[in-house]
Amino acid sequence: MNGAARVRFSQHTLSNGLRVIIAPDRVAPVVAINLWYDVGSKHEQPGKTGFAHLFEHFMFQGSRHVAKAEHLSIVQGAGGVLNATTYFDRTNYFETLPSHQLDLGLWLEADRMATLLDAMSQENLDNQRDVVKNEKRQSYDNRPYGSFYEKLMAAVFPVGHPYHHTPIGSMADLDAATLEDVVAFFRTYYVPNNAVLTIAGDVDEAPAIEAVERYFGPIEPNPELPTFRRPHETSLEPHREVVTDEVPLERVYVGYRCPAFGTREFEALEVATQILAGGRGSRLHKRLVREEQVAQDVAFFVLPLVAGASIAAGWVTARPDSDAATVEAMLDEELARLAHEPVTDDELARAHALIESAELSALSHMDEVSDRLSMYTTYFDRPELINEQLGRYLAVDVEAVRDVCAAAFGEGQRATITYVPASDESEAAA
Amino acid sequence: MTDPLAVLDTRPAPGQPRHYDFPGFERGTLENGLTVIRCHVPGRPLLQAQLIVRGDAGGGATSEAPAQAGATALMSRAMSEGTTERDAVAFVEATERLGAEIKAAAGWDSLTVSLEVPRSHLAASLPLLAEMALQPSFPEREVERLRQQRLNDLQQVLADPARRADHAFPATVYAPQAAYARPLAGAEVTVSELDRTSLVDRHTALMRPQATTLLVCGDLTELSLDELIARSFGGWAAKSEEAPLAEGAPDAPAAARRVVIVDRPGAPQSEIRVGHVGTPRRIDDFHALSVMNALLGGLFNSRLNMLLREERGYTYGVHSGFELRRSAGPFAVRCAVQADATVPAVEDIMSELERIGTAPVTDAELDAARDYLIGVFPLRFETATQVAGALAGLVVQGLPDDELDRYRPAVAAVTEDDVRAAAVAHIRPHDAAIVIVGDAGDCAARLRDAGYGQVEIMRDDGVEGADQPGPEAA
Repeated sequence: MNGAARVRFSQHTLSNGLRVIIAPDRVAPVVAINLWYDVGSKHEQPGKTGFAHLFEHFMFQGSRHVAKAEHLSIVQGAGGVLNATTYFDRTNYFETLPSHQLDLGLWLEADRMATLLDAMSQENLDNQRDVVKNEKRQSYDNRPYGSFYEKLMAAVFPVGHPYHHTPIGSMADLDAATLEDVVAFFRTYYVPNNAVLTIAGDVDEAPAIEAVERYFGPIEPNPELPTFRRPHETSLEPHREVVTDEVPLERVYVGYRCPAFGTREFEALEVATQILAGGRGSRLHKRLVREEQVAQDVAFFVLPLVAGASIAAGWVTARPDSDAATVEAMLDEELARLAHEPVTDDELARAHALIESAELSALSHMDEVSDRLSMYTTYFDRPELINEQLGRYLAVDVEAVRDVCAAAFGEGQRATITYVPASDESEAAA
Repeated sequence: MTDPLAVLDTRPAPGQPRHYDFPGFERGTLENGLTVIRCHVPGRPLLQAQLIVRGDAGGGATSEAPAQAGATALMSRAMSEGTTERDAVAFVEATERLGAEIKAAAGWDSLTVSLEVPRSHLAASLPLLAEMALQPSFPEREVERLRQQRLNDLQQVLADPARRADHAFPATVYAPQAAYARPLAGAEVTVSELDRTSLVDRHTALMRPQATTLLVCGDLTELSLDELIARSFGGWAAKSEEAPLAEGAPDAPAAARRVVIVDRPGAPQSEIRVGHVGTPRRIDDFHALSVMNALLGGLFNSRLNMLLREERGYTYGVHSGFELRRSAGPFAVRCAVQADATVPAVEDIMSELERIGTAPVTDAELDAARDYLIGVFPLRFETATQVAGALAGLVVQGLPDDELDRYRPAVAAVTEDDVRAAAVAHIRPHDAAIVIVGDAGDCAARLRDAGYGQVEIMRDDGVEGADQPGPEAA
């Protein structure tokens, strides 16, 4: 309808188990290479958290043919950009390069998959531990409300649940990590039969798959890949916590356990959160920010997680002349309204139109196209979901929205964390 | 038997580069003086249109009166709060039904109202872009709410170490009366005084078709653009008043170099900013400056990041950069370091600022920086919105139409001498001020002894007087 081409792609599997997706698109002379390893913080064992994320750092510290930190200089020197991220369910490594540098990108990824341990050393471990600790200080410890993510996940998923800890892990666990621990972690998970490689952009299929076979074909699989055991879901105990911190305004965070990513229910919940908090036309913005003027800002979203359950979470920051209890009560009313009353046809139509534009935008970036193909393949072995996703959102109807909200936002199934300013004392001292 | 991994022993050579040109674009002018730029980007159905009030016509916050600082930014935020046709909620709902997003944003050198929309809805949404840009109603109640939000946001700024440092830095390197010393969205003292009238006056002063460019980018096949544009913007009457102009130089530097420490006892990290007044965008050595900054602190393997992150492990990352405006925006090195590394990190930064103008640049550094800037050029323009952003840069800065075509050859021609000359001209370690948000501890004495200028320690005890220097600690 808007001329959005479907994503064309082909699927291949090498004899060592590496799954490969090639998606040619000639709009720009650019190629995105995207490698998902099916290892995230949910795979980590108690006492050994933070390893998947630590490897996100090691993967840039060199391998047999690449010197320490040279990976980045090679990619940037070739006119490319790259990054890597660690999440609960997986880790991804990706680069976008001028298309005539495809082989270079594949060689770099293959070299570190095959030979990373050649460059692993105590010195590397110590140095990257320091960098990670500074990342933690910057992103969590030295930021107002920075502890909410760890607190909310821990409250919504009980001790022993694989989503109980966030990907940055425990600094004590990192301190206790030995070289043998990290080597064993790498040998277990960073293998071709635990990975999906996607190439999207200005490529021809035959030479691309030939190059993948050349560089990745000789890498040995791990025949003893552990299977992840989905946790036994218990019901969520209500949790309420008040945190006194160096924050200027009171803010309330809420978290609910909700259906897993990939289900119809999760998609209905995404549409519901669009109606609830997706921008200035949304219910929370309209009521709390504009009409009642009690909130400085509002947010509500769902995190896509696949191991049995996800989390729906949100926050409201109270204006100085209001307070956390007031904004929490209004948030409760709006959640209850979604669970008990149908949304209007106009609200649903607006949510659908905005989601459609967001999909158009996402699929015009080759890095996003490649990341989604890797994601659907890693999680569900169904890359074709990239072309079905929009239709699935548009199929969400008024009843589906109400049903999923009624199930997810029930009484007494949530974690609530309230931040209040510590500044009363410091003002008195000044 | 040979090692099956032997194939990895040879780093692959690049293939044949595919040719890339920045998308072509054409200019036109309506009778009322509105400039129109259209840029066809095939295969991109999500379109971007931008109405840009240009910097040469006083279009940004630079030209606001000092007592009205923040008026342009507040006005831009209030533009979506209702029009003479409908209230704010009705307006946003009308855009959402089309899958469109319309927003206004103020910069130092421009005011931009932008529309992102699927091409099938351009015809229905372009009139909404015009309505918001030309007929905002600025309801009293909504203006007051946004004003309060800005004042509350200033409190949040004080609480966030990174934002606090970015807030203190311009006030440290520019003269107090210079526009660039102020936050773009205004400080408490001026925002408190703004009201509906300030915004209406600002809107009236800025919005003139002769001072404005309309950009439309994306897949424009079979769209009757001329007709659509004429219908929405043809009736906008030209005005004869002169453009508003800045009072005094917006980029006047501070009288002396200073060290400012915003004290946070017990903070686990220090946010550090080191730098000085930089350079305007329109300079002859722009490409040499870009290469020089890339190898100093732009690339991951830059001198600064290799030293502070990879060698020392002080930080998660460090960057340097010039904010390029019509007048001289700031140059800053930015990082957050663990608290006990604060002074050593400052010393390392200072020594790299010294070395960039004195020590030789290696061929490897030069190649890496040039190849990176040249190679990523096409990567920056995958979407219509990105293409529009680059064209908007030309419009706002007053650059020639062939600037983007010239970019890659000009970067390729940068030599080691050019880089050194750019460093000598634009990096001045002996003028570099230092802002630290962190535990003052023994930093103050050590930094004073190091001769980096007068050391001032501030405490944020509530919002009142937050930018007043406190008594200097020994």
